[in-house]
Amino acid sequence: MKLPPFDYFAPSTVDEALDLLAEHGDDASVLAGGQSLIPLLALRLARPAVVIDINGLDELSGVTQTNGHVTIGALTREYVAEESKAVADGVPLLAGALPYIGHEAIRSRGTVGGSLAHADPAAELPAVARALDAELVVRSRTGERVVAAADWFDGYLTTARQPEELLVEARFPVAPASTGTAFEEVARRHGDFAIVGLAASLTLHGGAITDARLAFAGASDVPVRAVDAERLLAGQSPSDRLFDAAAQQAADDLDPPADLHGSAAYRKKVAATLVRRALRAAAARANREGGGS
Amino acid sequence: MAEILAERYTGASIKRSEDPRILTGHGRYVDDIKLPAMLHAAFVRSPIAHARVTGIDVSAARELPGVVAVYTGADIESMTVPGPDLMASMMGGGNPIPEFTLLATDKVRLVGDPVAVVVAESRYIAEDACELVEVDYDDLPPVASAEVALDPGSTPIFANLGDNIAAPRKRKDFGELEEVFASADRVAEFRIDVHRHQNVPMEGRGCVAVFDGESGLLTIHAATQSVHITRMAVATRLGIEPDKVRVLSGDIGGSFGLKIGASREELAVAAAARGLSRPVKWIEDRGENLMTSGQAREESFDVRAAVSNDGELLALDVKMVIDTGSYPAMGGMVPGIIEAMLPGPYKMQALGFESVGVVTNKAPYVAYRGPWASETFVRERILDLLAKDLGVEPLDIRLRNVAERSDPPASMVTGRPLVGVTTKESLERVAQLVDIPAFRRRQADERARGRHLGLGIATFIEAAPGPRSPESGQGLMGMERMRLRLDDDGVVTLFTGQMPHGQSHQTTLAQIAADEFGVPFEQVRVVVGDTDVVPFGMTGGSRSATMTGGVALHGARQLKAKVLDFASHLMEASVDDLDITDGRVEVRGDPSSAIAVAEVARQAASGQSGDDVDGNLEVEASYDGGEGGWSGGTHAAIVEVDVETGLVKIERYVVAEDCGALINPAIVEGQIRGGVAQGIGAVLLERSAYDEDGNFQSATFMDYLLPTACDIPRIEIEHLETVPLDADVNFRGVGEGGMIVAPPTLVNAIEDALSPFGVRIYEQHLPPARILELIDAAG
Amino acid sequence: MEISLNVNGAQRSASTEPRKTLADFLRDDLELTGTHVGCEHGVCGACTVILDGRAVRSCLLLAVQAAGSEVTTIEGLALDGEMNPLQQSLWDSHSFQCGFCTPGFVMQATAFLADHPDAGEQEIREALSGNICRCTGYQSIIDGVLRGAERMRQS
Repeated sequence: MKLPPFDYFAPSTVDEALDLLAEHGDDASVLAGGQSLIPLLALRLARPAVVIDINGLDELSGVTQTNGHVTIGALTREYVAEESKAVADGVPLLAGALPYIGHEAIRSRGTVGGSLAHADPAAELPAVARALDAELVVRSRTGERVVAAADWFDGYLTTARQPEELLVEARFPVAPASTGTAFEEVARRHGDFAIVGLAASLTLHGGAITDARLAFAGASDVPVRAVDAERLLAGQSPSDRLFDAAAQQAADDLDPPADLHGSAAYRKKVAATLVRRALRAAAARANREGGGS
Repeated sequence: MAEILAERYTGASIKRSEDPRILTGHGRYVDDIKLPAMLHAAFVRSPIAHARVTGIDVSAARELPGVVAVYTGADIESMTVPGPDLMASMMGGGNPIPEFTLLATDKVRLVGDPVAVVVAESRYIAEDACELVEVDYDDLPPVASAEVALDPGSTPIFANLGDNIAAPRKRKDFGELEEVFASADRVAEFRIDVHRHQNVPMEGRGCVAVFDGESGLLTIHAATQSVHITRMAVATRLGIEPDKVRVLSGDIGGSFGLKIGASREELAVAAAARGLSRPVKWIEDRGENLMTSGQAREESFDVRAAVSNDGELLALDVKMVIDTGSYPAMGGMVPGIIEAMLPGPYKMQALGFESVGVVTNKAPYVAYRGPWASETFVRERILDLLAKDLGVEPLDIRLRNVAERSDPPASMVTGRPLVGVTTKESLERVAQLVDIPAFRRRQADERARGRHLGLGIATFIEAAPGPRSPESGQGLMGMERMRLRLDDDGVVTLFTGQMPHGQSHQTTLAQIAADEFGVPFEQVRVVVGDTDVVPFGMTGGSRSATMTGGVALHGARQLKAKVLDFASHLMEASVDDLDITDGRVEVRGDPSSAIAVAEVARQAASGQSGDDVDGNLEVEASYDGGEGGWSGGTHAAIVEVDVETGLVKIERYVVAEDCGALINPAIVEGQIRGGVAQGIGAVLLERSAYDEDGNFQSATFMDYLLPTACDIPRIEIEHLETVPLDADVNFRGVGEGGMIVAPPTLVNAIEDALSPFGVRIYEQHLPPARILELIDAAG
Repeated sequence: MEISLNVNGAQRSASTEPRKTLADFLRDDLELTGTHVGCEHGVCGACTVILDGRAVRSCLLLAVQAAGSEVTTIEGLALDGEMNPLQQSLWDSHSFQCGFCTPGFVMQATAFLADHPDAGEQEIREALSGNICRCTGYQSIIDGVLRGAERMRQS
């Protein structure tokens, strides 16, 4: 279909963008990469009165590493994050997830912030953000606030961002030493949304797991941390039996949706399989010198 | 009769003449057409599957700036001639014809049923206006499955039918059915289901209709498999003499059976263009294409098989239900073809076949590449299931049952002679290519390691065009016509009713004509896509290789004879001493005598040679297919099934095929691979999904999944030596075979991979979730 | 809105509604119909063009977003009417049939090979897995791209 009519603004500074958001609030959609918004517009599923195109806001683009965090400007293109050494070195789980996002042409335009603000529960970056307890920074005319990933994802395609706020950056903690990560997903085809995806991270110390993160994509209306499974893993030594138990726990705790691509029961099964596979991979990587992904 | 020249183009993978424009972005597809004052159409479509329309208000839509006209279903009725749908009459299989209006008036019958058409300055505005049309619907109980449709209590979708039966139940028995079943060692029973899926060409339907008020000529720029059939459809519905309708078609972005005749939308657009005297363009978008253009294959089969203890398939007794969707298209015709083809290349002694077709609130059942393919699926699945029961290799049960080539040929119990079939050779060749014993050893080793590999084999024959009928002596697919002309620039021009949409006819037909006539390949031009200049024809039914290849061959010879006859007067030499080589007529053995054919043509055109010499260097050739013949082959697939996720990887795919003499091997192989890809897509990815209320659930490419470059493996193709049946024309069709036999090949492989779990598969669509369900259910 | 952009080496300007996609703008306003529209929701890849050096889906960009950018479409690849080595290779390899998906494949392959000139078959398959072809089963396309990559490495 063709896009419906809307008023279009392309602010050239962040302040301009914030003014527009303050004025239009709920009537406005923010256009970043457009890889999610434009299909919604083209299918006439989204009908914003106003579209605010933030692609001119260069200051919101870029990857920096400071104080144990890798900070990614919201407008950073996914392919830029994929090619970033800071991301590869500092946030291997994110580096591992980025190539799963659609296809190269999608990542040429899609942005890290856009994916996190759109909050499709089947997308890769929300699961990574949830796994790593990333911080989302939003700004409005009245100031800035930092929202923990645990508080960011409210519901299906819904976040804690208020209508007058703009997501300006995402902060990912740098992986500690001896951390291994794995992003695994089951999709119908290469490049598709995950039927179920898993962002996993294990930190080992003296042969025991000191930190375990498991966050699912596609298993709910938001990305979901398998907290009970993580607790099972904490303090234990990696083993197949341990990972099987964690897999079972994680799957039991899920209440996944059903759709054309899989029933709820199927998603639970796949979730368990992904936990086993991801934990094995993460543990192996953690054991290699200094961890990595 | 002139000598047959050494072939230099036919049989070679000549580069396509289509490609320079295709590769540089200079193809001319229907959406590329832009005419002065052109308007754009969009349709208001029902959101409900089954409802009465109790009111429609287009006033707000008409007011929108940029909107030129809005026509309701009633308006379009007054602008067209009511009557039975042309396609239903042509392809409906002689079944009762439902009555309906071109656009929906009193009721809607599927989600997406068009109720009004908006014509505006741009498609953007037209869609805006569509949203302003208010339609009142009174819900009716949906008929969204064959089960509901067969219930006499279901609400009739077409009032004049009185029920939801599209094709009344009928039955035919072939051979001594009762006796064979009574004396068989065993009777096995199966229920096999094939799911709904669809053509999905990358280019959807569309047209530009232009009416010239002065001349009364209506021109349709179409994307169609036959410009003449489209013309008939348009002329009939608009009540115009056919010679006042011109249909043009340029490049077409695929069709696979979808774009035949004229759809309801295209007819409405033609009527609108006539009403407005401005060109009107309609290009369906992907949602319309998936939801309304047409779907296929939704069939179920209750089968009893009479079997001997050593694995002979003696007879089948089949009851088929076909879900033909809402508006009539090809569905009514399919059971008859399935019935005829069910015995396949096997020695089956008897067949009982009963079928009923139902109407449902779904998209119409259209022709889709190998519309009768389910006969191969059913038969090849059953053979595997029987093989399993007997503990016999799938290859062996087929070898046991295959009809040997004999003289006179054996016939299928349904009538057609199996003349020239090389099924046995294809099975044996595949067995050589896939070392089955070695695979079984590897399979066992891998199973011990928890990996599940499987091997599947399936074989098929396809009437492409099929053998000449011994009783009727009739040509196989009617007459194929072609006009051939030597132009005074030395170019041999072929005018054909074929309408290529990926088949590369502009290359293959030129190869044949160049060889037969004696000019370089570049000196042949193939003209398609204009009802003013091409004879009647259609691309479809895997006919073109034989029918059009044949008429090109014979027509080129006839043209050559005519040219040589004229040249003999010009050159004062005997016709028998003349030949055409490399575009020059020469006295054999005397190169200095050579005259370019262009010069000969110019002389002929000048009329100087006198009244008693025929200087009209043009022939109208026709060809009935000669001896025709079967195409066929055996496919094999090795798969790995991940039993934790249900994902299937195809490790190897092998084809041993016989499509007669090859005109252009690269093009033949492209057709095979494309068909196989669609078959793989059908099994692993594609389903036209409806819920029980008739809501359509796969209206985007996020839900209707097509295979990608990561899903289709390298496909190894071997061409078998064919059995020539005709002195000259042994090209046979290859377009549909891949799609017919790939689904059972792949399903057989998956079942083989899952045999440790005791899985038996009676369906064609196996997404990952379904595979895990089957494993669970068997356990 | 009046926008100006560089298309295939030439500066082009036209007026457009903000909601018009780049795909429609190229086809309707600039009359460059080589770029095809196959789904309008960013899945099939037929609309792929190169924007500022990156392959993008032109159905997922508003035309106004391309203002000031450099766009290359299928029409911009041939040099002086001669097909480039990739196009030649695709012709040699019988890569395509109906041609509708072709421009998207050619542009995506062009962008990919520019960054990965030594890519092997599996990488090429993955890189092109976002472009749908319904006719060929992909093998001939992959062969053509491999051939094109080889040709470009040699020259």
